Amino acid sequence: MPPKARTGPSKGGDKRSSSSKPSTSASSSKSKKPSGPRPKPVQQKTKSKTPTLKKKPPHLRYTEKDLKLPSLNGIRPAGVQKPPNAKKGKTFVDDKEQMNAILAIVMAEKEGNIESKMMRSRQLEEVREARRIEAEKRVESKKAGLEERKKGIKEDGRKKGKGSRDDSGPAGAEVTQEKVGPRKLRKRVSFG
Amino acid sequence: MRPLTDTETKTLFTKLANYTGRSLNNLLTDTAPSTTSGANSTPDRYVFRIQKDRVYYVRESLANLATSIARDNLLSLGTCLGKFTKTGKFRLHITALDVLAPHARYKVWVKANGEMPFLYGGHVVKAHVGRWSEDVPEHQGVVVMSMNDTPLGFGVTARSTAEARRLDPTGIVTFRQADVGEYLREEDTLFTT
Repeated sequence: MPPKARTGPSKGGDKRSSSSKPSTSASSSKSKKPSGPRPKPVQQKTKSKTPTLKKKPPHLRYTEKDLKLPSLNGIRPAGVQKPPNAKKGKTFVDDKEQMNAILAIVMAEKEGNIESKMMRSRQLEEVREARRIEAEKRVESKKAGLEERKKGIKEDGRKKGKGSRDDSGPAGAEVTQEKVGPRKLRKRVSFG
Repeated sequence: MRPLTDTETKTLFTKLANYTGRSLNNLLTDTAPSTTSGANSTPDRYVFRIQKDRVYYVRESLANLATSIARDNLLSLGTCLGKFTKTGKFRLHITALDVLAPHARYKVWVKANGEMPFLYGGHVVKAHVGRWSEDVPEHQGVVVMSMNDTPLGFGVTARSTAEARRLDPTGIVTFRQADVGEYLREEDTLFTT
């Protein structure tokens, strides 16, 4: 198509020239012109060949590798999470393999959780048991001490009773009086 | 109605795994005899489908049939397992009990005198426990059964088994989460969306 288009105007040009110059010394030019068109097609051919080469799109003429360009920085900017050709929207899980994979992950997590819980509870139980035993021991030792003291006091009382049986009554009374006396004194409080 | 996304599947499975052991795998591999006649037709598998916010455990052939019903008109199909909350958590419904109970990892058996209090929405107290699984940790999902092995509901343990032994008879052993009494008590809201 392009060559024809090119030839058209040239012909038109010829016509115009012939029409615009109808008179005066154009006879020689007129006579020359018929001979002129012959070389012109050759020129047109050369012209028509070059545009067809240029019209070929660049990606057909050479690949990107041929250009030996330095490769671009491949880092994706922070704002762009997805590549532009990625699937939009939700990704569904409907095949058994994917489900099983998710289930396996979940189960492993849960097993670990239960295991750790059990371990912790067992350890706590041990600690509690040890504490309980210790507390029991402490109570026992306290009780034993108390018993001993009681025994001691009893024995002391017996010894004292044996030593001064006859004046035990008045002595006891004195002791009670002595005990009562300071207490009463202590209780007496005056506010100004 | 659509299949679950990967995050939804994960939350669903983590919830189910609270109550079930390794046998949860069976939920995925379980098959039903094919409805279409013919010896060489493949058996039906079960799939999870989400409709509005509720998750259903459905036979695949049924799920495929249900695609011909508009979303607005589809009320329910298969077994409802529970619903996703607006915050993305999953809440199990009592309807999931039939799916959970056969695969339960830990169980608590309730004596006959404790059945009614539980079915009316009470927690399980120690005095009502007939027997329980050994080595149950604290706050672990359990399925509550009657003494004749009928599943009554599910809940979470309040104490570990070792601690619960030392508990007084009125002490709560299992916190109720769902019981079959809900079929009557929540009749109005259980299947509405």
